[in-house]
Amino acid sequence: MTIDHTAETREITVTVDGRSETGHVSDRTLLVHWLRDALDKRGPKIGCDTGNCGACTVRWDDTLVKSCMVLAAQADGDEVETAAALEGEDGSLNRLQRCFADYHALQCGYCTSGMLMTATDLLSSGEEITEESVRRGMKGNICRCTGYHNIVKAVRAAAGQEVPAPHGCAAQEVESR
Amino acid sequence: MTTEHIAPGTVTRRFTGQAMPRKEDARLLKAQGEFGDDTPVAHLAYVAFVRSPYAHARIAAIDVSGAEQAPGYLGCLVPDEVETLTDPYLELQGPPGDAEVDRCLASGGIARFAGEPVVAVAAETREAARDAAEAVVVEYEPLPHVVDAREAVQPDAPLVHEPVGTNVAFDSLYDWGDIDFAMDNADHVIEVDELHFHRFSSTPLECGAITVEYDAGVDTFTFTGGFATPQLATLNLSVALRHPFSKLRVLSKDIGGSFGLKLNMHIPATAAALLSRKLGRPMRWTETRTEHHQAGGHGNERWFRDVRMAVQRDGTVLGLTYDALDDVGAYTRYEPLGGVIWTQVANACYQLKHLKVHYRSVYTNKGPVHPNRGYSRMQHLWLVERMMDIAAHKLGFDPVEFRTRNYVQPEQYPYTTVNGCVYDSGDLPLSLRKALDLIDYRGARELQERLSGSGKRIGIGIGSTLDSGTNNLGQARLINGELPFSGNTEGGLVRLGADGTVYATTGGVAFGQGHETTIAQVVADMLGVAYDEVQVQRGSDSALSAQTGMSGSYASQFAVTGIGAILNATKKLAHEINLVAASALGCTPDDITLVDGHAVVADDPDRALPFSAVAGIVHFSPADLPPEVADEVGLVGRAVYRAPFEIPDTERKYGNLTLTYATQVHACVVEIDEETGHTRLLRYAMVDDCGTPINPMVIEGQVHGATVHGISAALYEHLSYDAEGQLVAGNFYDYHAATAYDLPSFRYDNVVSPSPFAPVGAKGMGEGGGAPLHALSAAFQDAVGDRAMVLDSCNPPERVLRLLRGLDAERVRVIR
Amino acid sequence: MLLPPLRYLRPETPGDAAALLSEMDGSVVLAGGQTLLNMLKLDLARPAALVDVHRISALRDIRHREDGTLIIGAAVTYSALAGSSETRRTHPAVADMAASLVDRQVRNRGTIGGNCCLNDPANNFPPLLAALDARFRVLGTDGERVLRADEFFVGTLATGLRRGELLVAVEVPAMPPGSVVAHEHLQVGADSWAIARAVVRLDRDGTGGTGEGFVTDARAVLGAVYGSPLRLHSVERSLSSARVSPGLADAATALREVDVRPTEDVHCSTAYRLEMAEVQLRRALRAAVEGSIR
Repeated sequence: MTIDHTAETREITVTVDGRSETGHVSDRTLLVHWLRDALDKRGPKIGCDTGNCGACTVRWDDTLVKSCMVLAAQADGDEVETAAALEGEDGSLNRLQRCFADYHALQCGYCTSGMLMTATDLLSSGEEITEESVRRGMKGNICRCTGYHNIVKAVRAAAGQEVPAPHGCAAQEVESR
Repeated sequence: MTTEHIAPGTVTRRFTGQAMPRKEDARLLKAQGEFGDDTPVAHLAYVAFVRSPYAHARIAAIDVSGAEQAPGYLGCLVPDEVETLTDPYLELQGPPGDAEVDRCLASGGIARFAGEPVVAVAAETREAARDAAEAVVVEYEPLPHVVDAREAVQPDAPLVHEPVGTNVAFDSLYDWGDIDFAMDNADHVIEVDELHFHRFSSTPLECGAITVEYDAGVDTFTFTGGFATPQLATLNLSVALRHPFSKLRVLSKDIGGSFGLKLNMHIPATAAALLSRKLGRPMRWTETRTEHHQAGGHGNERWFRDVRMAVQRDGTVLGLTYDALDDVGAYTRYEPLGGVIWTQVANACYQLKHLKVHYRSVYTNKGPVHPNRGYSRMQHLWLVERMMDIAAHKLGFDPVEFRTRNYVQPEQYPYTTVNGCVYDSGDLPLSLRKALDLIDYRGARELQERLSGSGKRIGIGIGSTLDSGTNNLGQARLINGELPFSGNTEGGLVRLGADGTVYATTGGVAFGQGHETTIAQVVADMLGVAYDEVQVQRGSDSALSAQTGMSGSYASQFAVTGIGAILNATKKLAHEINLVAASALGCTPDDITLVDGHAVVADDPDRALPFSAVAGIVHFSPADLPPEVADEVGLVGRAVYRAPFEIPDTERKYGNLTLTYATQVHACVVEIDEETGHTRLLRYAMVDDCGTPINPMVIEGQVHGATVHGISAALYEHLSYDAEGQLVAGNFYDYHAATAYDLPSFRYDNVVSPSPFAPVGAKGMGEGGGAPLHALSAAFQDAVGDRAMVLDSCNPPERVLRLLRGLDAERVRVIR
Repeated sequence: MLLPPLRYLRPETPGDAAALLSEMDGSVVLAGGQTLLNMLKLDLARPAALVDVHRISALRDIRHREDGTLIIGAAVTYSALAGSSETRRTHPAVADMAASLVDRQVRNRGTIGGNCCLNDPANNFPPLLAALDARFRVLGTDGERVLRADEFFVGTLATGLRRGELLVAVEVPAMPPGSVVAHEHLQVGADSWAIARAVVRLDRDGTGGTGEGFVTDARAVLGAVYGSPLRLHSVERSLSSARVSPGLADAATALREVDVRPTEDVHCSTAYRLEMAEVQLRRALRAAVEGSIR
């Protein structure tokens, strides 16, 4: 952990992905930078300067937020969960992650962690899952590769809905691949 | 799963052609990918750039004393130092554009666009680098600037590059067929004053990120980041840094999108390298979104002027002529290749006989253009598609019949274009029919009628396009006869490890296209092993022998060149396996087949050797082999795929410039709010034909992605500049990249026209050819009939409202 | 993108926050930070210190006074507001606005106080709150005072807050029975950056049947068009005391009579924005009248 000499610094302790982490941060350090640079958390990514892209999305005290619009100091004493916490204890993909793979909902993978975090939140919110509600629910996350179509399909499939199989794949094959 | 044979008796296609789940996905889904800014590096320092606030200015003085006081400051780099320490990059263009000198910091002490790097600052932390850069004081003397290519070509325009002596970097006349004859004798001639293809970019979500480590012990620079053409980047870095090629290594791991834009990463990398050597620290530069929009590369903006199209009474289009002003921004970089790359698709989708284009690449004081998905072809394709549409409306032809009649017909393939390019295969009429079925064309027409007068206006649009893949780099000779380029190659390396594991390495560079997946599919089939058993190298490494000089990801070519090289390499490895197995099993190599991870005697399946045993012999017990076999086999197949090209005729500007032509036909239905011009996409369909699919799921994904880039560009995205030369779309507020909520669900289908020229019949296809721009322009035209003319590729609500009120109707004339 | 150097302060009470704001030069309130932190990244603001009020529980309450007034603590998030069933019952327009704002991540952090105090012309809440006659309770070192919307929203990115003052709550009077609020907007894409907004509130007498009754009071407010929410008094006058009828929507006078220059930005020209404001106003009027008749 490097120390920034140019401003106030402080010690923070945050439970990140289930582990208590203590670090020195500058007052101005954004949560996303602390997670990435100090903790090597690669889920939150930076894709914009203005909070539009959602690549840095994490859960903070059980609330979905964009970690580029939160100061690390604000999270002191709290819990933060990144996409690294989504997989099963044995390292297997969870249902949503499997659906992303099955329906080709990622290409370069840069937006993917943010998409997974938002979709997880949406799926656990109790909101009705429809094509429209998924598109609306995911609008805070920008993807420049997939055109969103397959992301919407994957989220709906994770909610147990029937969606068309990827091109070249029979419906019954999808989950047995 | 069904199986089919690609070459009878040799290879069974268990995986090729199937929608195999991707090899890349697990690490990316588990947040374990490694992108440019992810890699932890010990003792890392950070670079920040001080950028010009002016569109054009002479740098009078630079004062870094403030930065020196900033805590954590390590050092800086200024333009004078760069002039001393570096040589200019490799230059593609001939005179007069070759007088342009491009450097990593304001070349010659002049900033030529707002956002151009002027000083590079290094510091201990990201924050410290930011603060130190902010403390640098640069004194600028503003110079007159020009932001419109049409003004830049005027005699009194300010010069972007004084030594060039003109703002026209490249000027070429393309004249195929006999356009005068066509214009003089056609039944109809349509004339349009001016059309405009606007400036936008695919804006990969990961901006640039470069880490440079200088190892003084071996005098070697190692660059890690998203370099889309690693060997060309190494060459450029070697020339610029005056450093031996052998002592430069360029690596990439996961790349968060490029779409062509990351072809010029060697320029900021030069600054980071100089700082790394000077300060003895690894350096990282992480581009911000704002920086990326200012300086990370834009797509080519193009003006089409004095456009004329010759059409017969029966609807046959004879030919087309126009003047093009291509606005390349402040530096040519990959340009003026765009000045010839568009000619790969000179005919667009049509049987044009006569084409004459006066093409000029023009400097302006705006961000430089880089290749951008659909590079330079989509601009011409849009123009042709627009003119087809305009002609149909003005002359009263049905837009579907008019296109269908003029399409290159299925039986005409291989079809030679006006400039000697060979369209390999396709079925455009079928593709169009399928696209229209997908949007329920008849139903959409009924809807259009039904909603008439309701305040909602329906427009139905068609966009036909080509994705030319696998460049003949010989086309570079059309811009500069001195350039020693021709053909195209890619490398591949497939080997058997000590335990029999199959490893595959491509020279290609992936940023989401699933190369690891498609490689594993074809290798598994050819070696008779399971898909999961093929280990494919992630990322690229310029020091590995898989790469050729042309290696990289550009020009929609991986399915041809990358896969071709891997197949050739796999063949070599298979041959070696056969030699070893034949020796061990006491038969001839021809008797061996490779099945389920075993080398098997074809007519005696009980005699078989697992790959682990083959590997064991070669790696650990070569004395078991006869010397002539042991000397030959290393269980490494390294091969090159060479695309079969000839050098084009530079006099006639004639010859085959690309190997494959994937087609896409899009159709859409839009609903326009007549009071606001706000557009909603009701239905959107794409029909893709990229030959024999290797992985249909990946192909469909590529089509989706290119579709949204096009839709978003057609409706929202515009890298516009104000009169002062300031970019007014520097972030995702002002540059609206479509979200999921902006878009409908897509309707996708395909047609399969195998390429007779490509190794597995598959064509390159990722770029997509900008079809949504064509289709949406056509939909707006359809909505307004001939009462207005759609002459711009970007149609946000305000412009659509103006179209509803008759915009530009007078700029299109039927002169005969 | 990184922030400039700054100090981060987290007071425990509104009073402490007000004290910090008045004592420290260049200190500003950090509420949700969903706009402010981006402005800092882009160097559009350069405060010396951020006074974080997000966790002050006194600012996070949603309450109803006995007279039906809705009192929203300044640090109440859009999510909390959208999820408040009581608010949805008493002030559905407020709950709907909160539920539709930006995206789910931003709704979880962004606050009504931040939305109002930044007073970006494109923001959602200022025109709505102006139409609802909301009051803004602010706390300074000298005590509390209450501002009307026209006193609070004074210009582009500007409010009537004085140095050292903290917005503590937004108070929205009870909706009169039969009152209808309509909000119409034109945005970039499906629902991105706002080009024009219009909010119309019609209060009517009685709760009787179709077509019965008169407009007792009306509000017509534009957003995203001018520096601050713009109340159209002439339109409001033409609506007041009118009989509720389908033709009422056409009674509104054209905006061209309003002598204010619309804001300019990258998304459209001022002329277009002005015209769109008219369109949205007309639509909001129509929706409000239809709602009143229903």
